[in-house]
Amino acid sequence: MPTEICKNRLMPLTLDVYRDAHIGAPEVSPPGRRGLVRRLLVLGLVIGLLATACGGDDEGDSLLKTVVDRGNLICGVNDVLPGFGVVDDAGSYSGFDVDMCRVIAAGVLGDANAVEFVPLTAETRLTALQSGEIDVLSRNTTWTATRDGQEGLTFLFTTYYDGQGMMVPASTGYTTLEDLADANICVLAGTTTELNLTAVFNARGIPFNPQVFGDNTQLRPAYESGQCEAWTSDASQIGSAKYTIESEGGAEQYIMTEIFSKEPLGPVVVDGDSAWAQAVEWSIMATVQAWEFGLDSSNIASYSGNDPNIQNFLGGIDPKLGLPADFAVKIVQQVGNYQEIYNRYPELAPLDGSVNDLWTNGGLMYVPPYR
Amino acid sequence: MGGRHVVPAAPADRRPNEASVIRNSTQPPPGEERGNAVAWHRNIRTLRIVVQVVAAVAVLGLLAWMGSNLITNLQRQNIGTDFGFLDDPTRFQIPFDDGFDPQSPVWQMVLVGLRNTFLAGLIGILIASAAGLIVGIARLSSNWLVAKVAQVYVETFRNIPPLVIIIFFGFAIFTYGPFPILSEATTFSWPGSSHSLLILSNRTWGVPSIVTAAGAGWLGIALVAGAAAAYLVGRWRTRRGDRTGRPPHRVVWFLATFLVIGAAAFFITGKPASMSWPVVSENLRRIDGGFVLNYGFISVALALGLYTASHIAEIIRGSIQAVPKGQSEAANAIALSALQRYRFVVLPQALRIAVPPTINQYLNLVKNTSLGIAVAYAEVTALTLSSIGNGRPAPQSIAILMVAYLSFSLTISLILNMYNRRIQLVER
Repeated sequence: MPTEICKNRLMPLTLDVYRDAHIGAPEVSPPGRRGLVRRLLVLGLVIGLLATACGGDDEGDSLLKTVVDRGNLICGVNDVLPGFGVVDDAGSYSGFDVDMCRVIAAGVLGDANAVEFVPLTAETRLTALQSGEIDVLSRNTTWTATRDGQEGLTFLFTTYYDGQGMMVPASTGYTTLEDLADANICVLAGTTTELNLTAVFNARGIPFNPQVFGDNTQLRPAYESGQCEAWTSDASQIGSAKYTIESEGGAEQYIMTEIFSKEPLGPVVVDGDSAWAQAVEWSIMATVQAWEFGLDSSNIASYSGNDPNIQNFLGGIDPKLGLPADFAVKIVQQVGNYQEIYNRYPELAPLDGSVNDLWTNGGLMYVPPYR
Repeated sequence: MGGRHVVPAAPADRRPNEASVIRNSTQPPPGEERGNAVAWHRNIRTLRIVVQVVAAVAVLGLLAWMGSNLITNLQRQNIGTDFGFLDDPTRFQIPFDDGFDPQSPVWQMVLVGLRNTFLAGLIGILIASAAGLIVGIARLSSNWLVAKVAQVYVETFRNIPPLVIIIFFGFAIFTYGPFPILSEATTFSWPGSSHSLLILSNRTWGVPSIVTAAGAGWLGIALVAGAAAAYLVGRWRTRRGDRTGRPPHRVVWFLATFLVIGAAAFFITGKPASMSWPVVSENLRRIDGGFVLNYGFISVALALGLYTASHIAEIIRGSIQAVPKGQSEAANAIALSALQRYRFVVLPQALRIAVPPTINQYLNLVKNTSLGIAVAYAEVTALTLSSIGNGRPAPQSIAILMVAYLSFSLTISLILNMYNRRIQLVER
């Protein structure tokens, strides 16, 4: 049977065409009872489609199997956003989103260092994921309906609840969006903030001019040289920019108190591969679960209590997620729990009491129970 | 000795040979198939056709395979394969384009991008042609300094990638450069006048422009008519000059005719056009009035203009050197000045040679405008990528982009090829 070559999600596709080839027939009978020509036609169709469906890099069951076989994870990240994803002079990556890639690698492969980072711009990140260039995108990407549906992506657990903010040099004294009438506003191209900037300013009838850039390394000099009056982006991004500019001796910056959008950021995978999506999502969620249990990189390996929930979490049960039983231990030992990861980066807004705090502290970090 | 005997004999021998070769392809040589047709797999004609068909099928099959691959992959990911997205609203504001409504459909955004590409390409071509011509002639100057300066210019610009030059203009000249921020913009005006001729800032430049009112259409028609009349007058002066041998003063007559008709039409139609002077707005955040050039446009047009000029200069130099030296010497012999020698003898012949390679440079320049994305210039590539980032399907968007550049380039080469055919010397 040629369909053996491509399993799972490719199978229904071939059967669909198989059925289409018999349109009009009351029921599908085995090809053996049909005429030779028809059999050849159907065979040709199926083989042709198989060649097509197998043509990409999606041979085999799921990306999960591909990644395990390959032995490393290819992760799309930001390389110019301190705090979330940045590459240093030695070529090593660091940041909150970067650590989430390491979390996935530790969970799926048992080795947090088995990651190949692919730096992407805001404009190219979705295409890179759709075309299979990367396994997972962890690059401060906002979950929206259009991206989820029309773009064929699956958004997983939100790792960072963000919103759009506006930064101006503190010396200007601007405090509201209305102060920015006719202003040049620096923004990254191909982002939700670009769309939301237009929507909010138009809704309020404030004239403005966007000045769009490919990435922050181009945007920052334009902002600092006064080509733009203001810089808008996710609050986390401009917070990081404010930290960097001020710590490098630049002018003092002011971030307006108004947050004018919802930007839930998290890892993204392509549609139609639930095994892979599950593995990624539960790896990420393990960091929050560990935090909730009070487990961190220093004490998780030596846990000796008898809380059955924790025992389950540390490998007492196998929920058949396609992950090794001790994946949570590996993740927390090698990368840390959510709080540890977050607090590693001073560019991020303070965690305590923020919207990204644990649900037990009044935040939004809440994961399904592990049992 | 022996060769000389063989050569005259060869044509006589070849004719029967050729005939036998042709016969061989349809009829077998005696002894091989004994009068029957050659087996099809040994017949060169059939084989040629078979090879062609196999090649065509292979290429088409490969294309079809890739196409169906694409469509299958897109469908599996729930990404549409149609062009319906062109009617969806754009949803983002185009930089430095106040007139663009973010709610207008995507195809209008594409048109705005094409217009910006065209503008940068046009201004770039004008700069490249003028600078290239001057530098190309200067390269051959007998003045050592002029020739060396031109050579340094050519070698510098020709050996730096255009993207680097664009980034240099965008960042070194504007972002970090000498221009003030808009609220402290430098303004140049007529002495004793309040109108600004030029406003310079690191964001936008303002220059005066002409705004039109009702009745401008008639003025436009009158100006076209005036230009036609001026052309006819110019031709009459040329013929008269040829006939009488007296200087025709064509330029003076041409301009005088055009200006008289234009001025008369301007007053008769009730002054429908007026100057618009640039002025920095009260909140010091924008330039009102005049024509506003943004720094991305200036960087792209200037950088590509100067870059391409270095290539055109070399084309001009080569073309001038390709004109036989006797032409220059003849011009000198009849005591033409250096200017006259170039104007009437050398350049008319050199430019004919220069046209085809220059067309290539123009095409390159237009294609290179896509590098404007580096300095946030809102040309069609930058806008398309923005649009893809905002949820428009990439394969279709890129397909539109490719078709757009293709039609741009084909149009330019069509027009210039027609021009080339017209000016080429008719030779036999």
